[in-house]
Amino acid sequence: MKGLELIGLEIAVIAAGIAILLLDLWTAKEDKRRLGYAAALLVGVIFLASFAMLFEGRQEAFHGMYVLDEFALFFKRFFLIAALLVLLISVEFADRFESGVAEYYAITLFALAGMMFAASANDFTLLFVSIELVAVCFYVLVSFQRQRDRSLEAGVKYLITGALSGGFLVYGIALIYGTAGTLNFRELASLGPEVLESRLLLLGLLFVFVGLGFKIAVVPFQIWVPDVYQGAPVPTTAFLAAGSKGAGVVLLARLLYTGLRPIADRWGPVLVMLAMLTILYGGLCAIPQRNFRRLMGYSSIVNAGFILLALAAGTADGLAATLFYLAAYLYGVMGAFVVLCLARCPGQEDETCVLAGLHHRSPLLAATLTLAMVSLAGIPPAAGFFGKFQVFKAVIGQGAAFPYPAWALGVAVFGAVVSLYFYLNVVRTVFWSSTSESVAPIRISHATRWAVYLVIFAILWLGILPGAILNLAEYAVHSMGL
Amino acid sequence: MQDVLFYIFAALTLVCGFLVVANPFTRNPVTSAMFLVLTIMSMAGLFVLLEAFFLAAVQVLVYAGAVIVLFLFVIMVLDLQVEERRKYPRSAMLSGGIVAAALLSVMLAAMRELPGTTDGPALEGSTAALGGLLFRHYLLPFEMVSVLLLTAMVGVILLSKRKLK
Repeated sequence: MKGLELIGLEIAVIAAGIAILLLDLWTAKEDKRRLGYAAALLVGVIFLASFAMLFEGRQEAFHGMYVLDEFALFFKRFFLIAALLVLLISVEFADRFESGVAEYYAITLFALAGMMFAASANDFTLLFVSIELVAVCFYVLVSFQRQRDRSLEAGVKYLITGALSGGFLVYGIALIYGTAGTLNFRELASLGPEVLESRLLLLGLLFVFVGLGFKIAVVPFQIWVPDVYQGAPVPTTAFLAAGSKGAGVVLLARLLYTGLRPIADRWGPVLVMLAMLTILYGGLCAIPQRNFRRLMGYSSIVNAGFILLALAAGTADGLAATLFYLAAYLYGVMGAFVVLCLARCPGQEDETCVLAGLHHRSPLLAATLTLAMVSLAGIPPAAGFFGKFQVFKAVIGQGAAFPYPAWALGVAVFGAVVSLYFYLNVVRTVFWSSTSESVAPIRISHATRWAVYLVIFAILWLGILPGAILNLAEYAVHSMGL
Repeated sequence: MQDVLFYIFAALTLVCGFLVVANPFTRNPVTSAMFLVLTIMSMAGLFVLLEAFFLAAVQVLVYAGAVIVLFLFVIMVLDLQVEERRKYPRSAMLSGGIVAAALLSVMLAAMRELPGTTDGPALEGSTAALGGLLFRHYLLPFEMVSVLLLTAMVGVILLSKRKLK
């Protein structure tokens, strides 16, 4: 059957998930957490296989619904790396689940499959189904520690707000279909301006923004972020921050840059407005935070703003900046959460004790966290600096064609400065806060040590020699015909 | 005749849907569920007018039948007395009302300027046509839904089983 070979990576991921579910039956209870290594290994193999995929340009399958190009592959690799790191973190976290460890890995894999389908979605049907697959997986993953009230509360909040945004999304799709008569992005682009500019279609597009903005954590659809980030298990939070946001971004990028490219002047200003609001809100709310995970929630909102700003440029440069920024953001987030997962203090819900005096307990983790914070804050030579630089470059490169260029740049600079403060505050707590108790050194398993090395290496590599990834991003953007 | 029926069913859907969420006479959740049945029934009527007979039947069988029964079970198992007596803060009502009004005005503005008639999709509501679409054109999303359902099943069992060990 045609198309089956194109979705090979996704089929492999789903098969791996089902295999983990089945292996669970024959695994002794004390070995169950090790299944996570098996899952991570499978994901690693699939990641390598993604480079071996025979590839001759852009290919479509399933009536143009599914498209495989370099852009899709870039995001598939992004999601695979994110899932690999998340699985390694969750092996460390596994003893905090009372049951269902193998299921946790399996559902993580199913979420990964949903994200990978999202990377290739070229049609509203596939967009909706893949986003719902990711959402359903996260409803479960967020409330996984059901013995903890906070986790359940986060699960309920995520479920209700997620269902509401899903309702808006499907309503928007219905309005667009009713106006345009097609669900396919490519066919949408070929329609005349009188259809694309019609108010009903723009209203539908606004509703689709609601659904995708919820995933990306854009203001005003961000209200769930701090609570869910705080309540969910640490690996879930990491996957939510990197993977789920990435899925929203890839869907939005594909929709705007293929389907609605002719009306870029209509959605550009809306995106810039939302981006400015998002950066301001996230930056200002992050300042008083004392809980590290809530801080990461607001940091995720600020970063969503920068991503949106790059997307709003509507140019190839803007899209390439988005891709690079996401890659840099991924390692920053993973660096933070791997430390958060390892450096715990038993019996305490609050995470303030995790950070205080971390450099006594584990210099490696303290260095990782510092590097991650430096990267997220956008200080050279870490990856985040170059990501922010690319975003600014895309905005300035557009010149007067960019909607509200002066305002957007001002807000972006303000956001960058404010985030400098709250990220470096974390570093200050790690090294200079007075701590008396719990100076037991932290034991790190071999696999996790490698994950930590990977994160450190990637942050430095992307920061010092960004050329390779930047070329990859530009290549991916060109594959979309920009 | 069809137009008249459309307006009747559409009005019924809207009125009953409103009564599900905001019934001025009672806050009893069972009443809400019953109005939901009526909403779904009138939506089935709309599907019939679109000649989508299979969807209309599924709407009645699955939603009005199975799903609502499940809702009623949950309502009866849970003790909702507290919920019934709870008063919503005025600020929440006010902001909700403002958002709803804003949304309504935007939608009305959009409706005023409908685009020229596009060729609507051919009306084919027979079960065979629907099956053909699902298994040919929409095969990939259809199969993905099966993964979604598997995840949902695993998740529900995990989150609801009595003993954690």
